Amino acid sequence: MSSRKGASRAIKWPAKTNHVPKEVFEMDSLWEEELEAIFYGEEWHPIVHRAEIPNPGDYKAAQLGEINVFAVHGDDGEIRVFQNTCTHRGTSLVTESSGNKKELECPYHRWLFNLEGDLIGCPSSREFSEGFDKKDYGLLGLRVEVFYGLYFATMSDKTPPLKEYFGESFYEPLQRLLGGDGRLNLIGYQKVMYDCNWKAYCDNDGYHGALLHKAFAMLNWQGGKGTQIVTKNGHLSFDSELTMPDHVDALEDGSILDFKGTETSNGSIVLMSFPITVYTKHMDMLNIRYSFPKGPKGVEVHYAYFSHEDDDDEMVKHRVRQSSNLLGPCGLISMEDASVFSRIDKGNKTQGNAIFQKGVKDEYAIPLEVGQTDETGNLARWERYRELMGFERSEQ
Amino acid sequence: MSKISSVNREFIEDLNSEYISALNDFNMDSWLACFTQQGQYILTSEENIRRNLPIAFMLDDCYARLKDRVKQVMDIQYDSSEHYQMRHFTQLISAIELESGEIQTNFNFSVYYTPRDTNQTETLCVGKYEDTVAIENGKARFHKRVAIVDTNVLPRYVVYPV
Repeated sequence: MSSRKGASRAIKWPAKTNHVPKEVFEMDSLWEEELEAIFYGEEWHPIVHRAEIPNPGDYKAAQLGEINVFAVHGDDGEIRVFQNTCTHRGTSLVTESSGNKKELECPYHRWLFNLEGDLIGCPSSREFSEGFDKKDYGLLGLRVEVFYGLYFATMSDKTPPLKEYFGESFYEPLQRLLGGDGRLNLIGYQKVMYDCNWKAYCDNDGYHGALLHKAFAMLNWQGGKGTQIVTKNGHLSFDSELTMPDHVDALEDGSILDFKGTETSNGSIVLMSFPITVYTKHMDMLNIRYSFPKGPKGVEVHYAYFSHEDDDDEMVKHRVRQSSNLLGPCGLISMEDASVFSRIDKGNKTQGNAIFQKGVKDEYAIPLEVGQTDETGNLARWERYRELMGFERSEQ
Repeated sequence: MSKISSVNREFIEDLNSEYISALNDFNMDSWLACFTQQGQYILTSEENIRRNLPIAFMLDDCYARLKDRVKQVMDIQYDSSEHYQMRHFTQLISAIELESGEIQTNFNFSVYYTPRDTNQTETLCVGKYEDTVAIENGKARFHKRVAIVDTNVLPRYVVYPV
């Protein structure tokens, strides 16, 4: 991990590790530095699960920082991630968020690429510069690693291998969240723009205190035993039992809260990979939240939901009902999270620091051992952010 | 399938007006009253429909779920959401009477919202309603209202049905 000496000096980080300066959410000029130091740095970003593009020619567009990319399922069965640009004059090659193409043709000068990214045709090439070789003009591919069908991309050659980067405390529950074997089917998306800085989103999605969720109390929903594990490079995994009441009096239709539990897992897994992505498995909902910052303000979140290939029709229907009604920007549970993103963003337009308290044992240390319901799990991520951005911590 | 009578057309327009008024006046009991006892309400995206993906933003596929939607809006999440005023504009596109006696209708809609903090008006979503309507005792009610938004990326979290 290298810190950036050229980063903005305007922010003096507090000495206490549980204090985060509110201006870090609001200073627009940080975004360009964050792109270079974080999004284009030594990080892995989830782009697509194979279940989203299961057939040759299927593609999905995404962004990595401000770079437009797309993942495409090749005729050879491999999934690759390319920058969305013709290697001639730079025209974008896919113009929809998803679809299927037999090959990738640029409409401008009819350069033609196969699904593996090779340039296979370019009219008038006899008039091109001396030494022109199609082999030198394949699509700009990103380094990719796959984990149980989930493809991650990185902009850096130096990023450690995926498993090393995440560590077992993260990738083991991720495997369970991906159905144990990654044999998933896509059942749909919920897409929404949240009106906040990307760091306000990732600081508050994933796990937080249950007090926000009035629904939990109304449903007599008790948290069970569990763990929260933090890695030094800022990933977080939360794994817990869910103790569900036998009968839900507060709802007319309690069936959306049924936990059929076909995966080998406790009731609830929440994972957060640095810098921004949240993955959850609550009851029977398998959910990846692809998140795209839109500059310093606004985060577009694509909630992708999955079923398992072995599910029968009834189980798929159950997952669909549960996912549609509990999670996402309208969900019984997570609509309240969404309201907090927006309210925190407004609240950060004030002076002072955002302060973490629950679980703080030493205000000058970065805790890697945290309790299940502590809010200190976020502090390792903030420390990594601070280091990558090169902000100096104040003296005690 | 046949064209509907002008009387039934009037019933349908009245039902749609009742539905819009209920939402724009924050009257969720009146919203519920727009549905039959077999009623369903689904809010989903054009993308999910086009790709045959069953996930929705709201999936109230039975009357009990409709009642729970009212409870979610009026009770469970009332104090945590930032309220906004909605204003619906709709346009009847087609209405066809089925052999069952039900009527299939399509409306285009655009919905604006004005949050109470900024007081600036923006577009919440644009799309179409696909409805199945029952007419009983001179009153139209939805067996099913499916709101399909072209706005595949919603501009904010959505508290109320559309």
